[in-house]
Amino acid sequence: MVALTDPAALDAPAPPDRLARARRLHLWLALGLVAISLASLTVGATGVQLLDVVRSLARGEELSRMEQVVLLDIRLPRLVMGLAVGAALAVSGAVMQGLFRNPLADPGIVGVSAGAGLGAILAIVLGGLLPPALLGLAGGHLVPLAAFLGGWISTLLLYRVATRRGQTSVATMLLAGIALAALSGAVSGVLVYVADDTQLRDLTFWGLGSLAGASWTKLAAALPILLIAVSGAMLLGRSLNALALGEATAAHIGIPVQRMKRLAILCVAAATGAAVAVSGGIGFIGIVVPHLLRLASGPDHRALLPNAALLGAALLVGADMISRSVVAPAELPIGIVTAVLGAPVFLWILLRQRGVVDL
Amino acid sequence: MRRRSFSAIAVSSAVYLALGALGAALSPAEAARGEADTLAIGGSVTEIVYALGQEHRLVARDTTSTYPPEATALPDVGYMRALSPEGVLSVGPDLIVSEEGAGPPETLAVLEEAAIPFVTVPGAFTAEGVAAKIRAVGDALDASEAAETLAAEVANEIEAASARAAAHADAPKRVLFILSAQGGRLMGAGDDTGAAAIIELAGGVNALEGVTGYKPLSDEAAAAAAPDVILMMDRMGDHGASAEELFALPALAVTPAAEARALIKIDGLKLLGFGPRTGAAVSELATALYGD
Amino acid sequence: MLEARDISVRLGRSVIVHGVDFAAKPGQLTAICGPNGSGKTTLLRAMTGDLPCTGTVTLNGRDIARLAPWELAAMRGVLPQASALAFPFTVLEVVEIGLSRGRAAGQTRAAMQALARVDLAHHAGRPYQSLSGGEQQRAQLARVLAQVGAPTDADGPRWLLLDEPVSALDIAHQLEVMQIARDFADAGGGVVAVMHDLNLTAMFADRIVLLAEGHVLSAGTVTEVMTSETLSRAYGCRLQVGTAPPPGTPFLLPHAARLAAE
Repeated sequence: MVALTDPAALDAPAPPDRLARARRLHLWLALGLVAISLASLTVGATGVQLLDVVRSLARGEELSRMEQVVLLDIRLPRLVMGLAVGAALAVSGAVMQGLFRNPLADPGIVGVSAGAGLGAILAIVLGGLLPPALLGLAGGHLVPLAAFLGGWISTLLLYRVATRRGQTSVATMLLAGIALAALSGAVSGVLVYVADDTQLRDLTFWGLGSLAGASWTKLAAALPILLIAVSGAMLLGRSLNALALGEATAAHIGIPVQRMKRLAILCVAAATGAAVAVSGGIGFIGIVVPHLLRLASGPDHRALLPNAALLGAALLVGADMISRSVVAPAELPIGIVTAVLGAPVFLWILLRQRGVVDL
Repeated sequence: MRRRSFSAIAVSSAVYLALGALGAALSPAEAARGEADTLAIGGSVTEIVYALGQEHRLVARDTTSTYPPEATALPDVGYMRALSPEGVLSVGPDLIVSEEGAGPPETLAVLEEAAIPFVTVPGAFTAEGVAAKIRAVGDALDASEAAETLAAEVANEIEAASARAAAHADAPKRVLFILSAQGGRLMGAGDDTGAAAIIELAGGVNALEGVTGYKPLSDEAAAAAAPDVILMMDRMGDHGASAEELFALPALAVTPAAEARALIKIDGLKLLGFGPRTGAAVSELATALYGD
Repeated sequence: MLEARDISVRLGRSVIVHGVDFAAKPGQLTAICGPNGSGKTTLLRAMTGDLPCTGTVTLNGRDIARLAPWELAAMRGVLPQASALAFPFTVLEVVEIGLSRGRAAGQTRAAMQALARVDLAHHAGRPYQSLSGGEQQRAQLARVLAQVGAPTDADGPRWLLLDEPVSALDIAHQLEVMQIARDFADAGGGVVAVMHDLNLTAMFADRIVLLAEGHVLSAGTVTEVMTSETLSRAYGCRLQVGTAPPPGTPFLLPHAARLAAE
């Protein structure tokens, strides 16, 4: 076989291993995540303190009803939901940016957000028209179910449109996604017209996003999907790296490109669909988190994807803490918090990147 | 660059934590409790509580509870359809009295878990409806006698005002209620709205026919409605349009209302709240329409 | 053996390659030459499996249409004409992308060796996007070399399929890259290269397949194919082929048509 030794040139030292450093970041992010999770269980309008609860439990005392409800029915499901949704959005963003080879892609680009939004609006405005049997089945969760379904249907539609002879064109998917978003916007417009006052208010608040609706029932439905989708996405690290060189080269390297695209789209549709369904429209996590991580520790997806999950989870839980605290006892929709904090960070990233990378 | 990005992440996380903790620290301190144990949700409910002399029972209110002005001093738990469970619990209510439509359902479920009695009072756009609402609030607060009195008073007021207005049944005025005229786009009130009900009680006729709910009006629809009078809510600080601006709009410029410069503004909660001041609202409107 | 039988490639309405037969042996450098639009790159892409085509392509005796992408990757490396990179990987990371799963310690060493081969070892830590076009092309060659140099279970010689490997390079690096290809063939590997530069082809290739308008015009050893008549016919202009040291190696000079008095 070919000998590749050129003794003279081998005294050039290998550059520092970015991947190893990025993997060390896992530990720090995980620690941060634990810290912010504990903080999230402690902070809250009612003033119930985690430490006091732990002490009571240690003494063998029973918790008051208030403490039980606050900790187990309000804060804990909210924390779990925030972790899962934050991880899902951030990982989906990273996968989409890798798939479309564009650092500006966001998770909704495969049509999930447009479809989920439309599903939610349909449920809010026209839900009352459904036969009572169906409504009873939905059990008060009509909006999340409709949103999840809507996300899937639109992703499937886009996938079908963009796939010919077994090959999916991401460029076509992007353009078709724009068309779909426009169509969905038009239908939403009609529904907004038909809606009454209270429905309009509900629509608006849904669009702004909130973790306030977190309940164990919702988690029972959404958490498995979120966990499986996010875990599935972790398998895409090496493929997404290769894809950065272009689809043809990735195939030459040995990546089964079409299979990988299907997996990516599936995971993102499931993760983003479930996330949007249970928490409404939360923006910026999907774009900003992967960017920050690339700046900090390089674009290698094998480390980027797990780090994105950890950082996304932590940031969303942090944002939730803010949304619960700044106007207590009322609550700021979390989409506002992520936007207010995310937009300046995004601008800062873009300004730093000027001249370094051609976007 | 990497180092700076690491510290950027660290700093922003610290900021998040700090803000969260700060917000928590700034939460309203527990008020001196005494007998205060009730959360009122809905502007009309809060009004009724004050009208019944039971305001000492209130610990907090929602965003729509703006009358009487003293009510705004109470902590605000947010918009009634987007309540935060922990926020509600933090004001320590032992009773919640609410208009219809509070939400979201998950919050109500948590409050049920916490075993806090939640009383929803009915709300219909009629004199009987108002009376029923008052009685329901009174029952919830153990002030049924005072409620009965108030309910009867208000119902009588409304009916009296209606009767006076009925004198003009042969030549009723056409009234168009405009919710907002932002950017030249008119939102009008059709059937099944509080505005339509009030107009009717005051002896007028809803100029906007064939439409249900609050809907955007096309210029032609507004002109075809041919209202004699425009009715609007009087917002604090008067963010609504002035008479000149309003009648300058092409949609309204050709209406009889424009010729007579007939614009009536009444306080929003008073007009549409269907609470204790409804009788006064009907009176005021009828007088403005027919001058009695 | 890399064998292509009766290959036709259709792009849209037009047929780019018509019923082409092609064969390349390991241990040899086979060049595909021809004017623009003759179907050289298309033929190569049909043999790498990128483009759907009629006919069969077999590599080391196996039909490539039946092989999974990773099986093909174990047998052959492909150097594309141009390569954009979407994210700020370093040169070393780009080379490592081609290597198999896992983070064996040997990987970095193999990648650094490949980079040394193309004279880029000192740039290993730089962002790939900051390299010049020619340097990026050499980095891609390093990636391909690392890929085919990696140990594997597949038997049979390894192959390099190169699409205009020297087009963006200065003369020194042109010679260096062609030498690398030559060394690869001499060590037992197979090389198929689409070439524009006929003189370089003459210097380094063993066999040429000359295409014109999607058909094979001529195929054979360098001396057989590179005659004045054949080349003039293929390229549609007056070309004169001579010989230069080392003896027997043809070279050509383009002729201005006006001067063709003979």
